[in-house]
Amino acid sequence: MNWYSLIGVALFLLLAPAIGCLLSGIDRKITARMQRRVGPPVLQPYYDVRKLIEKDQLAVNKVVDYYVLCSFLFTIFAGCIFFAGGDLLIVVFTSTLADVFLVLAAYSCNSPYAQVGAQREIYQLMAYEPMLLLTMIGFYLAKGSYQMWDILTGSGVALWPMLGLFFGFLFILTIKFRKSPFDLSTSEHAHQDIVKGLTTEFSGKTLAVFEVSHWFETVLLLGVVFLFFANGTLWSYILGLIFAFLSFFLEIIIDNSFARMKWQVVLKSSWAVAAVLGLINIALLLWVL
Amino acid sequence: MGKRTIVPFGPQHPALPEPIHLDLELDGEKVVRAVPSLGFIHRGLEKLVEKNDYNAMNYIMERVCGICSFGHSWGYSGAVEGLMGIEVPERAQYLRTIYLELSRMHSHLLWLGLLADGMGFESLFMNCWRIREQILDIFEATTGGRVILSFTKVGGQHRDISDETLKKIADKVTTLRPELKRICDVFIDDESVKNRMCGVGKVSTDEAVELGAVGPTARGSGVNNDVRCTGVGKYEELGFAPILEKDGDCYSRCKVRVKEVFQSIDIICAAVAKIQAGPVSVPVKGPAPEGEYVMRIEQPRGDAFYYVVGNGTKYLDRARVRTPTDANIPMIVKVLQGCDLNDVSMIVLTIDPCVSCTER
Amino acid sequence: MIHSYKEQHITALTPDAIESKADEMKKAGYRIEQICARSKDGVTTLLYSFDKDFDLQNFRVTVPQNMTAPSISKYYWAAFIYENEVHDLFGVTFTGLVLDYKGNFFKLEKPTPWKTEPKTAEGGE
Repeated sequence: MNWYSLIGVALFLLLAPAIGCLLSGIDRKITARMQRRVGPPVLQPYYDVRKLIEKDQLAVNKVVDYYVLCSFLFTIFAGCIFFAGGDLLIVVFTSTLADVFLVLAAYSCNSPYAQVGAQREIYQLMAYEPMLLLTMIGFYLAKGSYQMWDILTGSGVALWPMLGLFFGFLFILTIKFRKSPFDLSTSEHAHQDIVKGLTTEFSGKTLAVFEVSHWFETVLLLGVVFLFFANGTLWSYILGLIFAFLSFFLEIIIDNSFARMKWQVVLKSSWAVAAVLGLINIALLLWVL
Repeated sequence: MGKRTIVPFGPQHPALPEPIHLDLELDGEKVVRAVPSLGFIHRGLEKLVEKNDYNAMNYIMERVCGICSFGHSWGYSGAVEGLMGIEVPERAQYLRTIYLELSRMHSHLLWLGLLADGMGFESLFMNCWRIREQILDIFEATTGGRVILSFTKVGGQHRDISDETLKKIADKVTTLRPELKRICDVFIDDESVKNRMCGVGKVSTDEAVELGAVGPTARGSGVNNDVRCTGVGKYEELGFAPILEKDGDCYSRCKVRVKEVFQSIDIICAAVAKIQAGPVSVPVKGPAPEGEYVMRIEQPRGDAFYYVVGNGTKYLDRARVRTPTDANIPMIVKVLQGCDLNDVSMIVLTIDPCVSCTER
Repeated sequence: MIHSYKEQHITALTPDAIESKADEMKKAGYRIEQICARSKDGVTTLLYSFDKDFDLQNFRVTVPQNMTAPSISKYYWAAFIYENEVHDLFGVTFTGLVLDYKGNFFKLEKPTPWKTEPKTAEGGE
């Protein structure tokens, strides 16, 4: 832990909710405009969270609140490790743990919708985990270290040797951002056969905590995209930021162009992508580059 | 998973367009049994026949459903006209045909939007409804109402629509064609849409007949029971031919409805070209209705059956509507057995449910 | 055009002939169109409709005083939806109903709201 880590963590804790909130608002505005609607104001997610905090909690099972809170804390923890320049593998596993807590929370609800949503969240976990791990291994092979700081400041843009992994990562980003075609377990729009899936029984502060943890996660994931471009120079950082926002914009376009898929399709396609783009890229990195 | 759960589906559910209640018995994510129950929108409209004479009953019949409203008023008026032996003038028949086809377009576009929404494809949903708005604008400009038109009465139509306005209607629906083509191509060709619909809810031709399915639901399985072939309105003169598909899954039913939208545009343009000047209604004179009469109309969802019984007074004994959704519900109960939970909303949507029609 | 919509085929039928008629219709390939009821002055009349290639056949049956009629759901499974509705609204009991909701099909506040009582001597109902 050095000076820069502390600044990184502080900036993350302060700015990530704001950035996440703005990104979420911009997402909704652009989606609405794509559908030729006016759309809500860009600060709408903030108003929603504020209102949710004021609402009564109607939890069937009190333990749900604790699980969601744990999920929230671990998401923040993962983000903090990342922005402190820490070990990428720990970031992945902590983030996964946060997701597992979410699944536990949904299972604790006595609602059939939440339970089916939880099951689907597990399928989503199985779908994106391999690709995520392969991406981090790819960083190690390309840049020589698992530490985010080294990758950030190390020479050589990670994108070129990791091109396949980059596209694979963008593929599973759709799952992590909960966007069509992969928004199985829960999505922003409640027009699903399982109502709101995972989050059906969350209300009040619990739902607010869930929303805010999604903001933190968004920033973390865009940070990983940023990392593909970073090589210690300023122009690479600017390029990284641009591409992070572009990939976010790409996700919005994908969301609006696809219907929702069934979980079998999500699982098969994600593993196919991980196998083809991921493993081949890793093999190339190990033996060729 | 081996554990049986009962998931209540409806009456209020984001994926469900209509308030029907289904108790789904699930084994993991597979539906083992589906038990429907109705009655959330039962208003007892048919019983109002005791207090409203046969003319006023027309307005009540219109309000059975918002989407199929025009068809109901035609069916009921047609039944009473048959009972009283009234022959409606040619121009009124043409007008009724044109407006039923407009009604069919807006109903199918509504359904296409709901289908897209049920699949999680919001932008397609919004675009379908945007086109539909233009048809509702036509309704409002010509009859004064967007959904409940109050245009038909026993004996003909309330008012005439000038030829100039009819020409404008025909031009308007023709301009919708390229936009419609763009959207309908997504329904027919898009991979993610096909993934959700192909092979889902398969019903063979024999099963469709046995279960009494009607409308595009049955026509998707190759069963022709399109009542427009029996000489109702002016369809015969306009060269109408029903659209049939063979596969019997959700995708074929979607294709039937998509093609029917384009067919409706053709019928409207042909009708506007052929319509002649003349009266639009005949005065209803003579003895009060007596006896019984059966009439059928092809609503957007299928054939609707109208049965009126008169007793010689101005109050009818019975005015009965059997709507197409009523006939299609046994089909979804059968098809839901053994399907995935993912597919439940697709299957329920595929019959184009209109529960306010079913329960009156 | 095979049959015109104006053709009216409504024939009377006795209650005990319902099942054999349903069997006959099924074997001839007719599908069930609808079943409805009407009640006036305590007399309930059923109308069965069958259709094949636009040939619509209707049969009118007067339900006896005991308000029971045989169900045709063993020939036409889809008839359960109509028979349950008639049961809930008019109080006609169909014996042998395959999928019997026992009065819980339609959620109503009062049972059999459309059933009428025979006119009493004073002319009230």
